[in-house]
Amino acid sequence: MTKDSTQGFRRHGSDSYIADFAENERVVLLNLAEQIIELLAERIDHAQEDPLAAMVGITSNDSPPADEVLQRLLPNAYTDDVDAAEFRRYTEATLSSKKKTHAMAMRIHLKGAHDGTVDLDRESARAWLGALNDIRLALGVRLSVAGQSREDLELLAPDDPMRGMYAVYGWLGWLQESLIFALMDE
Amino acid sequence: MVRTADKIEEEIQTVFSTDRPWITIVWDDPVNLMSYVTYVLMELFSFSKDKATELMLRIHNEGKAVVSTGSREEMERDVARLHEFGLQATLQRDDQGL
Repeated sequence: MTKDSTQGFRRHGSDSYIADFAENERVVLLNLAEQIIELLAERIDHAQEDPLAAMVGITSNDSPPADEVLQRLLPNAYTDDVDAAEFRRYTEATLSSKKKTHAMAMRIHLKGAHDGTVDLDRESARAWLGALNDIRLALGVRLSVAGQSREDLELLAPDDPMRGMYAVYGWLGWLQESLIFALMDE
Repeated sequence: MVRTADKIEEEIQTVFSTDRPWITIVWDDPVNLMSYVTYVLMELFSFSKDKATELMLRIHNEGKAVVSTGSREEMERDVARLHEFGLQATLQRDDQGL
């Protein structure tokens, strides 16, 4: 029996955050988490790494990613370009792997949730929050890249493909907020 | 190696400037939820909910806010943790002005 649309996350006991997802919701979330993992992997593939440098977390990446979504996920730490490049060389690999870990945690839980129920401990809940946020950042960039304001997006024609993306974006924000409130409810 | 007075003066300045505090700034962002920014600030800096909410509102209303001060290394760590959770953060020397 498939579940109804999710009511979001709720806290259960001292270290449990639960949400029940309908199958289509589970599949959408799984796809989005996998897209983030793939996107981050593309960036790593492009860095022609010295194996020794890679071992200690140094990449040859010292300029921001060309892709606007990756730019947002792996931003500059300094407004000054020279300082930003130096910092990026030593830290981008670590940041990217942390983001990948968050998305992987989400993927693993969703893969295992055959009945649609996701049950997270506090640490996993934090990883999910980070992953949900990265997905929203990615969708947010894609939506605004199309030059649309919030008002424009709300007025999109029912058959406009951007409308679907905007609906998912809004739903993810609602889901993320339900998890934040569950985590804050202590 | 001959060192000019200017060069020595510059080195002294560099030594002193490393003692000057650095700051971490979080910038406003159209995507991050207000509740999420508040939660991340509470988690990463152990701020009370009131303090985190006040900072979040400053970021939202003024476009940016200083969330921590300290050595350059400490601020680099803070920025890295903020980036891990998707907040737009940069560090800079305190005397650059906002």
